[in-house]
Amino acid sequence: MKRLALLFLVCFCAAARADDLVSGLSQDQIEITSNYTGTDMVVFGAIESMDSANAARDVVVVVRGPAANMSVRRKVRIAGIWINRDEMSLSGMPSYCFVASSRPLSQIASKQTLQRYQIGLGNLQPTKVSTHRPPKAVPFIQAAVRERAHDQLYAEVPMGVEFLSYSLFRVRVPIPASVPRGQYTAEVYLFRDGAVISAQSTPLFVNQIGLERRLYNYAHTWPLSYGLSTVLLAVFLGWLSSVLFRQR
Amino acid sequence: MEIYLPIAQMSVHWIVILGMGLAVGFLSGMFGIGGGFLLTPLLIFYGIPPGVAVATTASQVTASTFSGMISHWRQKTVDLKMGGVMLAGGLAGTAFGVYLFGILRRVGQAELTVSASYVILLGAVGGLMLNESVRTLRAVRAGQPAGGRKPGQHNWVHGLPFKMRFRRSRLYISVIPPALLGFTVGILSAIMGVGGGFIMVPVMIYVLRVPTNVTVGTSLFQVLFVTAASTVLHAVDNYTVDIMLALLLILGGVVGVQFGVRMAARLRGEQLRMLLALLALAMALRLLYDLVATPPDLYSLAVSAT
Repeated sequence: MKRLALLFLVCFCAAARADDLVSGLSQDQIEITSNYTGTDMVVFGAIESMDSANAARDVVVVVRGPAANMSVRRKVRIAGIWINRDEMSLSGMPSYCFVASSRPLSQIASKQTLQRYQIGLGNLQPTKVSTHRPPKAVPFIQAAVRERAHDQLYAEVPMGVEFLSYSLFRVRVPIPASVPRGQYTAEVYLFRDGAVISAQSTPLFVNQIGLERRLYNYAHTWPLSYGLSTVLLAVFLGWLSSVLFRQR
Repeated sequence: MEIYLPIAQMSVHWIVILGMGLAVGFLSGMFGIGGGFLLTPLLIFYGIPPGVAVATTASQVTASTFSGMISHWRQKTVDLKMGGVMLAGGLAGTAFGVYLFGILRRVGQAELTVSASYVILLGAVGGLMLNESVRTLRAVRAGQPAGGRKPGQHNWVHGLPFKMRFRRSRLYISVIPPALLGFTVGILSAIMGVGGGFIMVPVMIYVLRVPTNVTVGTSLFQVLFVTAASTVLHAVDNYTVDIMLALLLILGGVVGVQFGVRMAARLRGEQLRMLLALLALAMALRLLYDLVATPPDLYSLAVSAT
């Protein structure tokens, strides 16, 4: 929430500045259908610059998915078998996070600045952790980031912002099939000399549509009837096969 | 081509899933088993979350057992009374098992429990079957007749109270052992997604001494209802039944069964059992390796929407 307020403040102040940022998305809705195997979304934008061309400017694009509750467990070896023992629950981590920048993040701004805006996979902070000693949560947070990155739901591309001209830029954002549904935000930050001088946030919706959505909603709204239908389907197909088999 | 599974929330190659159903159906027709104990680990290896794999396999087993039960019903080899007693135990066991599975999922031990149960059961059943089939093969080679049921022989089962007459099984025994057997299989069905035929059949034949032809029909009857209940309870308690996945598995399965049944007619019983035993042991070893080997990442992550 603090991050959003900050973002808003920056947007507001930016109007008065020399550099202005305009950005948009190739689509504001991504629909997951039965043959969805992942797609690329494009975030594009332009920097309307008033002053000379030699100023060092950087663009960072962050796409975040809806917040999720994560529980991270650490295995220990007990009697030769690996068993989950320590558990940490992290609330408010994004379920999806993609970060692209025009240069490596460490060259763009200081760690503190990046942390304040939660830019970069190393700077994501859960809103709540199930421990009174936050440092204890650090390896668990790192593990969560690692695991999500492995599933291609978290990614960081240091040179992912592609400049088409001096002011025009474009970023390809991969949206894999396993992305959760919900409201996403695409945030575009303009940095100069290590400080955010302009920012913009655009909402994006990821939805299951058609049959998939109806099945998912059905399973969660009327679980009993959904379970019974599955059984009926199974019984019907079982019966059908026995009939077909007898006729042969 | 890929297809998106609404509950598992991932895309899978539909040909792979159909192929899995086909292969497991084939083995199931060949060996006369439900095949759940092969399907659940296969789905987990493929990357389906264990919860979804267990619950959806239960629905696949429902389809294949219904198909098998119909033909046994026509041949009048279903002991309804015996099946009913086992079912009463079975439904209680399933409800308990699904409840237990929900708790295990919340404390993060579901995966371990599923894997460990499989290692123990596949190891034990595979070992016993291998031992038995090798002995039979040796005996056949030495020219001795294979041993069968010895009628009239009594064991500890006959000393228990609450006796009941089971006409079709030609038995007069206590209701405790079949109810207990049903209960155990119900728990296994809920936790492992299996029908439990591979445990029920040997116990019914060797311990309860139900005639072999009645055993298969009655066990199918019991498994049908237990897996159906298991599917519904998992859908209600854990939201883990994926109907798209189920549809693909069932379609592959019911076709595979037909080929399996034809194949079985060409192979000898002991050879079949030995093959199945080796398959079960290989699966057990693979799962055991995963439990014992140092995992590449000691941390694991479970995500739920807010």
